[in-house]
Amino acid sequence: MSRRRTVRVTTAAGQLWAILWSLLAAVPFVLIILLAFKSNTDIFTNPLGIIGVEWSPQNFAEAWTGPPGGQGFAGYLLNSAVVVIVAITGCVLLGAFTAYFATLASARVRTAVIRGFLAATTLPLIMLLIPYYTAFNAADVLSQPWALGVVYIAVCLPTCVLILHSFYLGFPPELREAAALDGLGIVRTFVAVVLPLSKGPIVAVAMVNGFFVWGETQLAIVLLQSPESRTIPVGLLDFQGQFGANTGAIFAGLTMATLPLIVVYLIFNRSIAKGVALGGVFR
Amino acid sequence: MTHAPIELVAPQSAAIRRRTHPGRDSRSVLLLLSPAIAILGIFFGVPIIDLVVTSLSSWSGVGDRTFVGATNYVNLLGDSTAWSALTRSVTLGLGTAIGISIIATLLAALVSGGIAGSNIYRIVWFLPAIAPPSAVAVFWALSVQPKSGVVNAVLGAVGLGDDHAWLADPSTALGVVIAVAMWQGAGFAFLIILGAMEEVPVSTYEAAAIDGAGPIRQFFSITLPLVRPVLAMILLLESIWAFNGFTLAWGMTQGGPGDATTILPVQVYKDAFQSGNFGTAAAISVVGGVILLAVGFVGHWLGSRTAVDA
Repeated sequence: MSRRRTVRVTTAAGQLWAILWSLLAAVPFVLIILLAFKSNTDIFTNPLGIIGVEWSPQNFAEAWTGPPGGQGFAGYLLNSAVVVIVAITGCVLLGAFTAYFATLASARVRTAVIRGFLAATTLPLIMLLIPYYTAFNAADVLSQPWALGVVYIAVCLPTCVLILHSFYLGFPPELREAAALDGLGIVRTFVAVVLPLSKGPIVAVAMVNGFFVWGETQLAIVLLQSPESRTIPVGLLDFQGQFGANTGAIFAGLTMATLPLIVVYLIFNRSIAKGVALGGVFR
Repeated sequence: MTHAPIELVAPQSAAIRRRTHPGRDSRSVLLLLSPAIAILGIFFGVPIIDLVVTSLSSWSGVGDRTFVGATNYVNLLGDSTAWSALTRSVTLGLGTAIGISIIATLLAALVSGGIAGSNIYRIVWFLPAIAPPSAVAVFWALSVQPKSGVVNAVLGAVGLGDDHAWLADPSTALGVVIAVAMWQGAGFAFLIILGAMEEVPVSTYEAAAIDGAGPIRQFFSITLPLVRPVLAMILLLESIWAFNGFTLAWGMTQGGPGDATTILPVQVYKDAFQSGNFGTAAAISVVGGVILLAVGFVGHWLGSRTAVDA
């Protein structure tokens, strides 16, 4: 899709700004990793130095197990994993399911459903916070990561449905008609024929929502009250208080939280860019 | 897309008519759509009603809610902390959105202008957006510490002094939050605006070049006007998101120092979960939510009007 423009802005000033912004964007990540390996005194007195520095890889062990009497990264990772698996599997599957069968519905129903999801995307999260807390409190599922995952299914469902619906509008009906001729019911058709062919958009949607759920903090901080139930983003905030002056351990925690995401991003960046482009107009 | 972004209910072209069924729906299709519709109702519809009920009550988080009518709302009118929180949210929202839009437009102009290394830039410039907001908050909070934070270390190295206490100073704390929000949000806006810029046909530029227009002139007379709808949408989205943003402010300063970074979502959190004042918090949420919805609708309406001639 890249078109060669006849306008070229390759001035030195342009390049300079591009490089500066790239440094600004990337250097913090390098720093997080660098400082995670340093001892606390070195972080304080010599943050940017590399030579003659006292290395302290045990920061990672401390972050992993947590401060005495507190929660460690290991626990946060487990909780985050539960939340993300529940949320993304549910949201993507239900989203694809709904988006596809909405194309099979009459125009009236389809429009109503889509308008409903569109309205849901405009709802500010701030309005859902207290009611969710009230409900969780009443149902006694506060501090249950799987329950938070279910909430995320609902929160992410509108964008999943809207994006995938656009995709399914363009889906060739011949495949569906052929499957019907072969005697497959509509659900079997979806599972056996449509779903395997939807991999591209589904992966893109899963990636974008995955990153969102992995880092979401506002709902998590309210719905996961007990320290053992907390996910990584909330745990990182706790680290600030728990580890106090042990900044080395805090940076180790930050590294463990961001490095895997960077790796996943670098591998899947095309999928993610596509998801952003698709989702940008709906969010 | 340079036209109105929401184009889901596609025109009933012949191709679309083959794919959808204007006749009666089979029971099964309606049944299959019901889980999603149920979720919409349970997770979006009911909570709003519940929120309004809470806002009309007094509740401490335990026990029953006591109905108090519009007391919470009346109290809000005279409550200066709530008004200040609202003002701060507006500042945060506008400041972040404008800053992001300017930076992202410049970045997109560089890449769509064919700057060397564009492929790498596309990847690197989105990097800040994938980090969890709370990690971003913790990192920058540590980094702007006087003397030991890297920001001050760098400033000290170039002779600008190294003991600026950005976050401890009430007059600069919100500015730091805005700056960090800009850092994290620019990448997303950049990708969207770049997409719009790349949709401008090459022939338009060629025609302008023949007419003698240089690159700068082309940018201001051709590119900017044509991507204006997308720019407007980005401004709107980013201000709504920044207005909503809880994590950066809470993660960096917990609303402090004092009240300096207590934006609306932080105020709601404090009122509900620290002061046990769910009724007030709910009322603030309703007001904030209504404002956001109104802004969103107005923005969309304005956007769909100007897009007609794009």
